[in-house]
Amino acid sequence: MTAASLELIGLHKSFGSFVAVEEVSLTVPRGRICGLLGPNGAGKTTTIRMIMDIIAPDRGRVLLDGRPRRREDLERIGYLPEERGLYRRMTVADHLAFLGELHGLKRKDAVERGARWLERLGLADRAPRKVEELSKGMQQKVQIAGTLLHEPEVVILDEPFSGLDPINQMLFKDLLAEYKQEGRTILFSTHVMEQAEKLCDHIALVSRGRLVLEGELAEIKRREGGSAYRLVAGGDLARAEAVAGVEQVVVDRQASGRARLFLRPGAAPAAVLRELVGFLEVHDFTSEEPALEEIFVKAVRDAA
Amino acid sequence: MRLDKMLVLAKREYLVRVKTKGFWIALLALPLFLGAMFVIPALVMTTTRAELDLVVVDATGRGLGEAMAADVAGRGEDSPMADLRITVVPGEPDREAQTAALDRRLLDEEIDAWVLLAPEELEDGRAVYRGRNVSNTLTQRMIERAVSSAAREMRLADAGYDPDEVAALIEDVELATVRVTETGSRAEAGEAGFALAYGLFFLLYMVLLIWGQQVLQGVLEEKTSRVVEVIASAARPFDLMMGKLLGIGAAALTQFGVWMVTVAALTAPFVLQSMAFLPEDARLPEIGVGHVLWILLFFVLGFFVYSTMYAAVGAAFENLQDAQNMVFLPTFSIILPVFFMFPVINDSDSPLAVIVSLIPLLTPILMPLRIAVEMPPWWQLAAAALLTAGFVVLMVWLAARVYRVGILMYGKKPTLKELWRWMRYA
Repeated sequence: MTAASLELIGLHKSFGSFVAVEEVSLTVPRGRICGLLGPNGAGKTTTIRMIMDIIAPDRGRVLLDGRPRRREDLERIGYLPEERGLYRRMTVADHLAFLGELHGLKRKDAVERGARWLERLGLADRAPRKVEELSKGMQQKVQIAGTLLHEPEVVILDEPFSGLDPINQMLFKDLLAEYKQEGRTILFSTHVMEQAEKLCDHIALVSRGRLVLEGELAEIKRREGGSAYRLVAGGDLARAEAVAGVEQVVVDRQASGRARLFLRPGAAPAAVLRELVGFLEVHDFTSEEPALEEIFVKAVRDAA
Repeated sequence: MRLDKMLVLAKREYLVRVKTKGFWIALLALPLFLGAMFVIPALVMTTTRAELDLVVVDATGRGLGEAMAADVAGRGEDSPMADLRITVVPGEPDREAQTAALDRRLLDEEIDAWVLLAPEELEDGRAVYRGRNVSNTLTQRMIERAVSSAAREMRLADAGYDPDEVAALIEDVELATVRVTETGSRAEAGEAGFALAYGLFFLLYMVLLIWGQQVLQGVLEEKTSRVVEVIASAARPFDLMMGKLLGIGAAALTQFGVWMVTVAALTAPFVLQSMAFLPEDARLPEIGVGHVLWILLFFVLGFFVYSTMYAAVGAAFENLQDAQNMVFLPTFSIILPVFFMFPVINDSDSPLAVIVSLIPLLTPILMPLRIAVEMPPWWQLAAAALLTAGFVVLMVWLAARVYRVGILMYGKKPTLKELWRWMRYA
């Protein structure tokens, strides 16, 4: 599976005097899952719509594999918009075949793949039914199948998990993981940080139309998170302050035997732990990564 | 423009419509309805034909009653009116007693009506009809005609003329029309071309009344079902619009094609039957194949011209309720040509007629009329067809622009000023 990388260069869009997206540049390397994060109204959907050529940007370009994205390239992208629906009067099988054909598949292939997807989603018996006869959860499955049917190299999803029932969320996450394994590029937007944290290896944080932070999630966490450690141990926790490399110890006053340790930059956690076990009965010593939420709040504050 | 996408979209529109029960019900309903229109009246006529027992009191003593009965009998079974059973009785000297006796029989329902032919009244041009029911006007009219013709013959005879001779003398003159064309003059019933042109106008109007709404709803469908963004990311709005028009148009033409064929098949026996009654030298209306093909072409173009108006309205709005307020625009656009119909028929190659028939919104109605009156030069036909097709493409393009911007204006009704901005939006 050859995947494509996706690159946004200086994308800009304003509606009247309202600037929806301001000079957003972003690179999603091939084969990665990138989360486009931000609160509602941050400009995520407008950005995605510009990628999909639904809105024309005022300025800026979208590159696919380093070349300007042409209209035909959209067939290589699977797109699930936030506002999503299906033709209610079509049968499920016809609908999937239609979406496949619309994305450039031959009729025969489209029909075959549609049938395979329905089989996989446990909807094979619904194939001849009209879409409107399906439950909402089943319609969501059909939408997901329709997005991925033509085996796109790049998948773009706008708030994919909103409105999905837990079973479909699980199904979708599995599919995305599988897609990533196959080396496809995935960009999805969400305002739920926990989802992004679990799924993404690359993130882009937007706030009020501006990109405030972008990069590999692990690296961002390292960079932004500093060096907090959680210590659970028996003994006099305050003595930990004397250990070389420890900058500060904050002992939890509410729960006994717990403290947060902040290491000096460059200090080796393993060396610190070795020292600690010398005078404490250590039960737990874990790197306390900051939650994405905290990073985001901080980034927005710093950008302001 | 991507033809493959357009066709995929058109196919979807076509199949989704043709696969509905409603389509098939409508497809069969018209032929059944028309069939019923031919069959039921015929059944009614044969089974429930009214009968009327009529006594004719002939007080003239000159066989007027018999002449009248013969006249009625001559009209025979073809008459749509009641079967008359006529009994002629002579007038009695005691007119009042006879009247009383006949009225009695009338009230006892022995007879249904009676007519008095009295010389003194006939001279004044009157005869008296007495019956229980006097609202059977059609039957009375027939009796009146029979009395009149009998009385007229009597008067002519009185004045010394031979009724047959007089009839020959006052025979009507019929106007036989001959159309002069480049290929030599030939006899032609001028109405035939008009009938076709008028017929197609009303047909077009009907098609659009039924299918214009479908186009409007079709264009709104993606927006109401929220599938619009997926479609718009895979196909350009122009291809979507064009695909819709072609698909819905094909469904409309399928329906009307089937209707036309069945109507032709149903009426063919009647047409053939009536042709058998035509006199030997009767000339049937004659329209060339070329005429018909051009007229059909403009009919099809007409469908697209006017349905693009519906598409444009649909493109601008988010839901049917909002769009409904603007439906008068496409409806008006098809009525517009009617204002020019009579000037064009009157002088079909006047500068005015040539110009208006080349205006795309007017062409589909006016050009067929011109063809019916007198075949316009081929270059005018070709120019009109090209201009009309170009107009359709232009309208679709404009509608697509409006549509593209309209997609994203969820929950907002556009003003005319905004629509103008949308059209210029790049």
